[in-house]
Amino acid sequence: MANPMYQFNVHKIGPEIEIAGINLSFTNSSLFMILSALTISIFLFFGTKEKKIIPSKIQLISEMLYSFIAKMISDTAGSKAKPYFPFIFSLFVFVLICNMIGMLPYSFTVTSHIIVTLIMALFIFIAVTIIGFAKHGFKYLSIFIPKGVPKVLLPLITIIEIISYLSRPVSLSVRLFANMMAGHTMLKVFGGFVVSLGVLGGWLPLSFSVALTGLEILVAFLQAYVFAILTCIYLNDALNLHH
Amino acid sequence: MSKIKDFKTRLKIAKEKISNKSSSEENKKGHFMGSAFRLGTEMVAAVGVGTIIGFILDNWFDTKPLFIIIFFFIGSAAGILNVIRTAKNMQSDNDRK
Repeated sequence: MANPMYQFNVHKIGPEIEIAGINLSFTNSSLFMILSALTISIFLFFGTKEKKIIPSKIQLISEMLYSFIAKMISDTAGSKAKPYFPFIFSLFVFVLICNMIGMLPYSFTVTSHIIVTLIMALFIFIAVTIIGFAKHGFKYLSIFIPKGVPKVLLPLITIIEIISYLSRPVSLSVRLFANMMAGHTMLKVFGGFVVSLGVLGGWLPLSFSVALTGLEILVAFLQAYVFAILTCIYLNDALNLHH
Repeated sequence: MSKIKDFKTRLKIAKEKISNKSSSEENKKGHFMGSAFRLGTEMVAAVGVGTIIGFILDNWFDTKPLFIIIFFFIGSAAGILNVIRTAKNMQSDNDRK
């Protein structure tokens, strides 16, 4: 229990399901993914049910969420990215709610596992690459050849550009996963100090814990924001070739 | 009639308050923190990807340390390129505001 990494354990809930050699058991990770998806659906359902001129609080929050993402997309990726609004909206809200549900005591943070964030990042990466090729054909490869480079350096620069392109999903997934995992481990460690130092010395780590919780909520929001805005930036690169 | 006018002035004041708030320091701080989080991993990821590519090539051609070393440095270059590009983006974002 005192182990700060114990909170990241994935364990089965219910029977073991195995289909075609792949373990598809229902775990606490899947439970919390479903929980966050349900939270979002229920929240947005009630938020958009009654369209009043003077909105209720829940309607106000859903509308603010909508305009926040719409503004972010038009600022970073331009009007061409409008068709991808539903995808980026779901991505942002899902990551945000997963992070926020992870902040509740006794809950499990889905985004603190690299496999979850890597799959999301790889999906974005592959989708953006396909969109780029679909829009521009083989001209899309010109993003690997920057303008105004001497011919001698061109092979080296191209390799560097390709590695820089391939590092996108890695940096996208590692950033989210590392921030969530480090934050939750730190909270747990300080929580452990409170218990082991007792009534006399426990107050200092307790105050740290409180401050860290605030910081973690900020990080949870910020990471979801960064994840979504980077998706917009990558989408922008694929839609508007201007290298 | 006076009631409508009263409401209009109140609405105007409220709108001004909102427009002042949205460009406040607090909002900008959050934006900068978001950019700061981006820079670090941008560098590390490129070095990691470069090294992994080098490792795979070494396994293919059986030239153990050669490609890892070469691609480590190319990866570092890509990382620096990433950071410069991100920083440039931030700069132009700032200038636009």
